[in-house]
Amino acid sequence: MSKILKNDAFWFLFLSVLITLIVYGFNAAKGAIVAKTVYGTFFEVLDIIVAVSIFIGLFQVWVKPQTIVKLLGKGSGLKGFVLVCTFPILMGGSLFTVFPLLKALKEKGARIGAIASFITAWGGKAPLLPLESKFLGWPFALVRIGFTILFAFIMGVLMDWLGEKTAQIKKEKSFLVEL
Amino acid sequence: MRAGHLYLLIAVILMALSFLKDRQKTKEAAKATFKIFYVVMPVLIFVFVLMGLIQAYVSKEIIVSILGQKTGILGILYAEIIGSIALFLPPAVFPFGGYLHNNGASYGSIAGFVFTAILIGVTTLPLELKLFGKRFTLARNLLTFGLTFFIAILMEGILR
Repeated sequence: MSKILKNDAFWFLFLSVLITLIVYGFNAAKGAIVAKTVYGTFFEVLDIIVAVSIFIGLFQVWVKPQTIVKLLGKGSGLKGFVLVCTFPILMGGSLFTVFPLLKALKEKGARIGAIASFITAWGGKAPLLPLESKFLGWPFALVRIGFTILFAFIMGVLMDWLGEKTAQIKKEKSFLVEL
Repeated sequence: MRAGHLYLLIAVILMALSFLKDRQKTKEAAKATFKIFYVVMPVLIFVFVLMGLIQAYVSKEIIVSILGQKTGILGILYAEIIGSIALFLPPAVFPFGGYLHNNGASYGSIAGFVFTAILIGVTTLPLELKLFGKRFTLARNLLTFGLTFFIAILMEGILR
């Protein structure tokens, strides 16, 4: 029992049913609208969710994060930067899995701009394209991914610039203290 | 043929190719797939309930007046604030965004919502702070919010 209570999946489903029932109890017509929306959308996306889960699963085993880190470590400079702004678009996962990976990258000496670019590009979410195009259309999905690259690029440049600036200020401050 | 069936077909073909190349890895992939489905589906159902609640209680006019084309810049800002605090998994972001779009939210607002929902997260903030420090976290999240604003305006201009 206590195992079930710690289970996120259980709680999401429990709350879903509970909310629907409460709404239904207060107003049957509104409850029916909620139930119909859930039912309709569920069967609209089921096959896409299954396909997307398979895509992400395959990607996780065939492209290990360590491979990406190695790849990024090799091409420093412009080539590395271009990779950092594009490659993570293909990755799945949540920020919880991405952050520790980037921490390792940082400890290996990656610039903070590269890390910020990586996070932004990771938001591109290409494995979810089937889902995105279904709900928002291909034009939106493709334009968004295009802008994601630009976004990641600007992000990296700005973060590096900010980083250098604060380092400079720190230096000046410590200089003053020495004086 | 439905688009979803096509994706399923492609997924199955890729799975088969993977199996031919490396059985062990494909087993791992199948395990990962089940885990992802198991984590994502309940959250999606919860989001569908949210969509149903909006359908039942919030009129289209209200959504249009907050996130519609005519609200312009303000609509994008509202959408970004919603995206920043929403506790959504990425796969839930698109159905919800599409739902808002069908009910009159502009492409710019949806772009604002999608970018911030994926890239800014109240839930991941503690981990980011712990791993990368206060300065990095603050700068990255603020810059993400600001740059999303401009990109959303551009996307609205291109897509409308």
